[in-house]
Amino acid sequence: MKKTWLVVIPVVLFSLIAGFLYLGLFSDPRELDSQITGRPLPSFTLPDLMEPEKQYTPESLAGEVTILNVWGVWCVTCAVEMPYLTQLKEEKGVKFVGLYFDQDLDPDNGTKTLNRVQQEVSALLSRYGNPYAFNIFDTYRDTSLDLGVTGAPEHFVIDKKGIVRMHHVGDINERVWRNKIEPLYRKLTQGSATGADS
Amino acid sequence: MIPELGNIALTLALVSAILLAVFPLWGAQTNQSGLIATARPLALGMFTFTLIAFVCLSYAFATDDFSLSYVAQNSNTQLPMQYKLTAVWGGHEGSFLLWVLMLSLWTVAVAIFSGSIPQEMVARVLAVLGMVSVGFYLFMLLTSNPFQSMLPFVPVDGQDLNPLLQDFGMIIHPPMLYMGYVGFSVAFAFAGAALIAGKLDSTWARWSRPWVQAAWCFLTIGICLGSWWAYYELGWGGWWFWDPVENASFMPWLAGTALMHSLAVTEKRKVFKSWTVLLAIGAFSLSLLGTFLVRSGVIVSVHSFASDPTRGLFILGILVVLSGGALLLFALRAASLNSVGRYQTVSREVMLMGNNILLCAATLVVLLGTLLPLVHKELGLGAISIGAPFFNKMFVYLIVPFVFLLCIGPLSRWKQQSVKALARQLITAFCISLVAALLIFFSYSEQAYMAVLGLTLSFWILVASVLEVWQRIGAMDSQYSIAKRLRMLTRSHWGMILGHVGFAVTLIGITLVSNYEQERDVRMLPGEQITLSDYTFVFNGVSKTQGPNYESDVGHFSVYRSGEKLTTMMPEKRIYTVQRMPMTEAAIHTTISRDLFIALGEPLDDGAWAVRVYIKPFVTWIWGGGAIMALGGVCALSDRRYRMSTLAKFKKASPLSSATGEHA
Repeated sequence: MKKTWLVVIPVVLFSLIAGFLYLGLFSDPRELDSQITGRPLPSFTLPDLMEPEKQYTPESLAGEVTILNVWGVWCVTCAVEMPYLTQLKEEKGVKFVGLYFDQDLDPDNGTKTLNRVQQEVSALLSRYGNPYAFNIFDTYRDTSLDLGVTGAPEHFVIDKKGIVRMHHVGDINERVWRNKIEPLYRKLTQGSATGADS
Repeated sequence: MIPELGNIALTLALVSAILLAVFPLWGAQTNQSGLIATARPLALGMFTFTLIAFVCLSYAFATDDFSLSYVAQNSNTQLPMQYKLTAVWGGHEGSFLLWVLMLSLWTVAVAIFSGSIPQEMVARVLAVLGMVSVGFYLFMLLTSNPFQSMLPFVPVDGQDLNPLLQDFGMIIHPPMLYMGYVGFSVAFAFAGAALIAGKLDSTWARWSRPWVQAAWCFLTIGICLGSWWAYYELGWGGWWFWDPVENASFMPWLAGTALMHSLAVTEKRKVFKSWTVLLAIGAFSLSLLGTFLVRSGVIVSVHSFASDPTRGLFILGILVVLSGGALLLFALRAASLNSVGRYQTVSREVMLMGNNILLCAATLVVLLGTLLPLVHKELGLGAISIGAPFFNKMFVYLIVPFVFLLCIGPLSRWKQQSVKALARQLITAFCISLVAALLIFFSYSEQAYMAVLGLTLSFWILVASVLEVWQRIGAMDSQYSIAKRLRMLTRSHWGMILGHVGFAVTLIGITLVSNYEQERDVRMLPGEQITLSDYTFVFNGVSKTQGPNYESDVGHFSVYRSGEKLTTMMPEKRIYTVQRMPMTEAAIHTTISRDLFIALGEPLDDGAWAVRVYIKPFVTWIWGGGAIMALGGVCALSDRRYRMSTLAKFKKASPLSSATGEHA
């Protein structure tokens, strides 16, 4: 009797694999499924990068459509996109908030001091433009992990109620802004304006 | 006109395949010799029509017939002739045509070289191959016909072949790989035929053994060529990336290796029967799975063809019908199988079973690593990726017991082996190989303990192989000279020895290159030099040249060894003009003990260039070992008993007349 079971195992295993392959056919492997999209921001209490005595929570972002930008001075692409982000801020009034991520700045085993990083950040922002309303310092980098960040730069479009509407991995350039982010951004700013009226 | 002819030929090939799938099987089940006799002509017809279609497509490429959208997408008037012809399999549709051409070639080969097998069995085997073919011909005609026309909007010129594919390695890599992939369909067909007939004795194992060896040889060569091609053409300096598509070719190879060994046991000792059937189904199913993975776009890879869910669905359908059907039939039939042979715990049977288990474990590791990201995502657990560290770690764990069994297996006897005698030989071999490994280890200044492990294992195999030969000729009549006695060993025995030695050689290459490779990624101005171990590389600047369909920056490097000029190396950075695609052509200087590898990176400001320089010790041994393994397969194939039956067959008659006038 035992043998009957054994010989059935291959066909069962095969069916399982085939089932998954079938499902796999209809999903895009390149799409990073951000589990955060459609949900409110994970809760956090984090200091300001420049003025550590100032604390932020998700409520600090509410009331206005915000693009949360995960970045660091170590990230080359972040520096590349900075002028364009600044341009967006100045021309279209887009509100960017930085979520500052730095491996070397860990309070327990980092190699840099906060002071040094603040200097580097100021230097970089004065050189490439400062798009940020303010920078949140992700001290232990766990908020970035909660958001599902896999690298930098990454962007989260957050609506007025503090719900994440889009997760964009990679830099924002003119093409990405036009095709991907701006339509949603417009809808959120206008849509919730009428929403506030009603 | 010619494309239409190709289309018609392809349709006729489909018709032949349908007839082949139905009539001979029907004949075999109802015992009608007239229907059984249709098998061979139908197989030949299928092959001929496919060949006509293939020639038509090649002709369309050679004459720049851009009215075919496939030609327009993959060729260009500027492309050199040899690449025009290889562009036939440079894209999805054409490579599939090559795939079915190979399938029909194997089918017709079975039809020709199967004179010694009972006619009903041949009919069943060919019918199963026919069933496999029907699926793929339908797939081609319905979803990926290379003869699709662009009329009336014929472009003036084509889009050119992907520059990565304009290379000698690419000319022969896919045909070899497909020969291997598709070759396992023959073992599948034999197993399927045995299942249908309900005759799961060891005879089918004897018949299908040479076919598996042949397919395995092709697959080994194909994989080696692919790895070699990636090494010098992609310019990344690596030779294996655990890319899903590489894995797709590696899984059938692992399963095929297991099958080859298991077939030997089934043939010789009439045990492991159901296991062998399962492996035969498994090896071909993994080939199909590989085809699915590459062509459906389910998994991201550098190799993927343009993806299309309908195509993927079709291949998945074929996979489900063929493999699912075979496994179901297996579940129904195999329960009643009983092995008759007896063997002790220490015997060659058990060693080979262990080897099979480890090979299957390795296959599962690769399968899991390849499919887990997909499964993980579909279960809603998020996207993950599994990279080289996972595979490398698992393979290190697997290889130690695997090599252990590989050394013991050939030294032990069938049925029962005395542990004492075995232990003495193994310990001797182990001591010799450990000393050799340590000698090499201390000759390098870097300390890498994994190198000792890898080298000891490799030498252990080599020494055990020598011991095994010694033991064999020692048992022979001592009146013959040693050379004579060596010649008396059968060719299939030499095949085994070469296979194992080749594996050891590959393992040495892998061990040394992984542990002692040196790499430098630098910015160089003309006139600057860098030194890596004994070698000094002087950068003499970059010149521009013009190729037939590309423009190129050629870097000039003089290489000195201990002050003496060794050679000049010229890596290139090409821009292919039609596709505007940049390509890195690495410069490689090869000797038996090391490769020097220079790849030209990006031009930086003020005339400096990013340059990558590698010294790769013994890297060519990896492919050399593969070649020895394949040679072992060829040796086993040329064994006397196969040649005898083939000769007998040829003496009888040509395939067509034999189909009509067999069994006089």
